[in-house]
Amino acid sequence: MTESVLIVEGLTKRFGGLTAVNKLNLSITSGRLHAIIGPNGAGKTTFFNLVSGLYTADGGRVLFKGRNITGLKPYEISRIGIKRTMQIKSVFPQLSVAENLWVTRNATNGVLHPFRSASSDHATRERVEFTLEQIGLTSLAHRAAGTLSYGDVALLEIGMALISDPQLLLLDEPTCGMSPAETSRTVDKIKILAQTIDIVIIEHDMEVVFEIADDITVMTQGENLVSGSPAEISGDERVREAYLGRPEDEDYVEEAAHA
Amino acid sequence: MLDTLLLLALNGLIWGLIIALIALGLSIIFGLLDIINIAHGDFFMVGTVLAWFTLNLTGNFWVAFLIVPLIGFILGALIQRIVIQPIRNVAALSIVATFGLSLILQEVVRITFGATPRRILPPIQDTILLFGINYDVYRIFAAMIALVALAGFFLFLHRTKLGTWMRAVRHDRDTAIAMGVPAQHVYIFTFGIGFALAALGGVVAAPITTVEFRTGVDILPFCFMAVIIGGLGNLPGTAAAAVLLAVIEGIIQSFADPTVARISSLVLMSAVLLLRPQGLFKGLAK
Amino acid sequence: MTMSLMMIRRAMLIAFIAALIAVPWVVPALINKFWVSVIAEIMIWSLFAASVNLLFGYVGLLSFGQALYFGFGMYGVAIGISTFGLSFWPAFGLGIVASVAIALVAGIFAVRLTWHYFAIITVVFSLIFYFFAVSVKSVTGGDDGINFTLPPTFSFGGYTASFSNETFQYFFIFAAVAFCFFLMHRVIQSPLGKAFVAIRDNDTRAELIGLNVYQLRLIAFVMSGFLAGVSGALFAFFGRYASASYMFYHVSGEAVVWAIVGGAGTLLGPVVGTTLFIVIREVVSTHWEHHSLIVGVMAILVVILAPTGLVGLWNEWLARWSAREKVPATRTSLQSEP
Repeated sequence: MTESVLIVEGLTKRFGGLTAVNKLNLSITSGRLHAIIGPNGAGKTTFFNLVSGLYTADGGRVLFKGRNITGLKPYEISRIGIKRTMQIKSVFPQLSVAENLWVTRNATNGVLHPFRSASSDHATRERVEFTLEQIGLTSLAHRAAGTLSYGDVALLEIGMALISDPQLLLLDEPTCGMSPAETSRTVDKIKILAQTIDIVIIEHDMEVVFEIADDITVMTQGENLVSGSPAEISGDERVREAYLGRPEDEDYVEEAAHA
Repeated sequence: MLDTLLLLALNGLIWGLIIALIALGLSIIFGLLDIINIAHGDFFMVGTVLAWFTLNLTGNFWVAFLIVPLIGFILGALIQRIVIQPIRNVAALSIVATFGLSLILQEVVRITFGATPRRILPPIQDTILLFGINYDVYRIFAAMIALVALAGFFLFLHRTKLGTWMRAVRHDRDTAIAMGVPAQHVYIFTFGIGFALAALGGVVAAPITTVEFRTGVDILPFCFMAVIIGGLGNLPGTAAAAVLLAVIEGIIQSFADPTVARISSLVLMSAVLLLRPQGLFKGLAK
Repeated sequence: MTMSLMMIRRAMLIAFIAALIAVPWVVPALINKFWVSVIAEIMIWSLFAASVNLLFGYVGLLSFGQALYFGFGMYGVAIGISTFGLSFWPAFGLGIVASVAIALVAGIFAVRLTWHYFAIITVVFSLIFYFFAVSVKSVTGGDDGINFTLPPTFSFGGYTASFSNETFQYFFIFAAVAFCFFLMHRVIQSPLGKAFVAIRDNDTRAELIGLNVYQLRLIAFVMSGFLAGVSGALFAFFGRYASASYMFYHVSGEAVVWAIVGGAGTLLGPVVGTTLFIVIREVVSTHWEHHSLIVGVMAILVVILAPTGLVGLWNEWLARWSAREKVPATRTSLQSEP
């Protein structure tokens, strides 16, 4: 049975004269890893910012499991179970790796205890240790996150997504700027995650996209150009056109053609 | 009654133009260097004190219009290089540093000039009959000077290479640097110009206010109000807001306590900060 | 953090507290009685600097208007005693309630803004009330202030304890300030405190992991108003006096300098910064009236040479020293030391 975890209807966002997302319609099917691709400026990250509440939509709505989440605050959307990562890696640099996980785990509790010592919370602590093992950062648990290597920060971000028990995970270019080794390590993690969590991923690396995605949506100029299976997308004439119109994106075309 | 009102409005206009000079310096420093310059009021105060010294050393007040802004520029450039440059990337620290600077300037003036408030006689002693009283011609002249300086500054910003660089760095620092704008020099120059504008304001204002080490503290909130209400980065807006505020305060003072006028301006500023952080004049002036 | 480092810090803290307890006996013997009250004053102002630190060091909001809450604490006590005829504890309570209430009202607006805008709106709020306090002389006494006679703190039967006994005054202030610092320490180590630091580090991310950033900033703002209010109330008791001049932005600015020079984001940084500047003031001002010059120069030197503040510098130095000692890393908790 295919059930939609996220339905987007007529979603629109304008910045002054520029319409970044234009009457976007999209349906994300539960249990399938959904990739969003498209040339630079197609409105992919704006779309994520709208879903996660960082931007307020100018029109349209977003339904998460049938519930209208349009206009909710970012923290409210996060507490419902939609978590995201940022394109530019974004953690809490002065907290340690363990504390990053710890604070993320506890963020969804509405009430933060003002006087109980943070270190005396055993349940959270065990979960933090478990997650550290999962992402392989146990040995770096007490390092300040700001001192980590790029790849380790990316792992930590995934750990932060994991520990918050998300229902829907939005990954914004998770392999951006990574070495091939780091990329394949990250892709493996995402594959494992996708078995239990619904994931939407924005990705420029076509190899990654065609390796992991069950469904692909191509966005251009803020609109949904086409959605379909990887096979359908790679054979679609409009997709080729969308990329061909832009000389600086030739490498995508090549990658898309080879995939 | 109407005469009094017009007189207060005129006084406000003149003060507003002087404040506009000072506030522009504050605004470009804020806009370009991302620094809240707590010492900016003291730059003005240093201007008044230097004007006093110039008058006493040379016997000629007019010399101050040339020398004092120049000294101000050099002091500003030095301060940028020595104090601001090392902490450029930490905005919060710049508040502490400029607060320290403010204390230093005030104390140095107290040591050299003394703590007693003094007055400077206007270089033009004539008066003209205006709204039923004998009005100081110098005040009119002060307004003219401020206007000329404001016009000169905007011409400089839009007609010279350096001015273009300043606008470029304010608009997009990274791109400007990538395009080959020597940002370091622009910063030094900006701080120098900021000090020079405030010091010039000090010279212009010296004969119509008291010369004392504390005047900067009183004028600083007013300058910030102009910058915020005019809109951060909106230089014409800043100038307009300075004039508007001074006129409004002048008029309110005609029927209420000066502190009431000050409180109303502050409340207006809070409202602008919360409701229109881009400033009152966004869209009206570019 | 290694075990030996924690032990060094703990030992220093205990020594510090012991020294403060010994002050009323040791200081008069070594220097003179006057310095006991200077140290009491330093404790009060340290608490005031701590209120800046809680907001800036842990939540990343630089308030330039803490004098407002200090002033409300101060006037709450002074007006409570001189106008309403309250006794000691109700007046204390009035001061604290007044400052917390005004912090809540100001905070509802102020924490909508961040960075420069936050610094500016806090100073604007404090200026509004400063000008207000200056103009309603009948209530506040304006710049001249209100003097009052202090009622006793405790009285049971024939025995009364009051601030006229200098040792009692010292220990009352010590206990109140120490209690506030203890509360702040607990908050910083708690889940709430970790959330504060997360917001300081990266507020967008904090929002995205589900933290209600606005609400948490408001909580911190009110807590900080509480600390400033307690310090203002204590200062009113200490000086038997309240004045609008303490609500001016220069007072807020000094506390910012003390906190950052001492070390923002460390529990005891504000104590170090405040102590340094007040000791300089007391020592220098008897010989030279321009002690502010030294304050200004030191503020600039510290931010250039030690941007993490004196305690930050000390912590870095300790960390390097312990790394050189090669003490094997032991299992440590999430806890970070003050």
